Amino acid sequence: MVFLTLSCWIRSRGPDRYWKVQEVLKHARHFRGRKNRCYSLAVRAVRRAFVYATKARKLKKRNMRTLWISRIAAATREHGMKYPALMHNLTKTSVQLNRRVICDLAVTEPRSFLSLAKLARARQQEGFRAALGDGKEPAGVFSRVVLLQ
Amino acid sequence: MTSRGTPSRFLQSVLQNGVGREFIEEGVVDYAKKNPATVVYVSPQSCRIPKIVAEYLNGNVREEIITSKTAPQISDLLTKLTNQSGLDVIRIRKPFHTDNPSIQGQWHPFTNRPPCIGPIRPQKQEAE
Repeated sequence: MVFLTLSCWIRSRGPDRYWKVQEVLKHARHFRGRKNRCYSLAVRAVRRAFVYATKARKLKKRNMRTLWISRIAAATREHGMKYPALMHNLTKTSVQLNRRVICDLAVTEPRSFLSLAKLARARQQEGFRAALGDGKEPAGVFSRVVLLQ
Repeated sequence: MTSRGTPSRFLQSVLQNGVGREFIEEGVVDYAKKNPATVVYVSPQSCRIPKIVAEYLNGNVREEIITSKTAPQISDLLTKLTNQSGLDVIRIRKPFHTDNPSIQGQWHPFTNRPPCIGPIRPQKQEAE
């Protein structure tokens, strides 16, 4: 007589568990605590990390823009102007530089940035003269609009 | 894939480094001789899994597994591998790179400050 029922209880589970677990743990290796070692904790932490990464793609654009704006504001205050005045007058003189480029100029090309600030200040003075001077004087040089044909 | 969890690199130009000119000439000759049918270029190593190993001039080695792929898929893979340079396929931090980022001199806290003390002159000796 041979005992046959015991051998029926042996199950062969999936052979790939190690690699499936490593796929998740490799994204958690630089985490702190047991989240970088234990699978159940790591699964939740990795999912949160991916969610934060997807949400951060929009936030990165916002943060970079605020960083550029604060740097440009600091650079203009060194030259005695304020950020809203600079940007408004640059757009009025049709200087179509975005904040990223102006920030890079302020950091790596300080004299070019000084020339931009002077241009904006001249346009601002012309705007004041046009508003306060009752139209008898001709408009200034920087207020002329260039028409491309 | 998080930015700190995956590797990233800066933009690089394609630098040519290493031995592989003869290999490229042989590869081109092989591709010219190959037909789109079932011709296989067998390497001397007997691997268990069929692979294409692409060695680039800058030393990077790229392995592609080709089990259960049809012949046009493999030829597409081959053209893709030939058109690639060997640079890593990971996140590029900036899409530009300069060796001389600043021409007028980078800003430091004293660039726009006028000097407080005037120019240094030799002291006047009034006794004589």
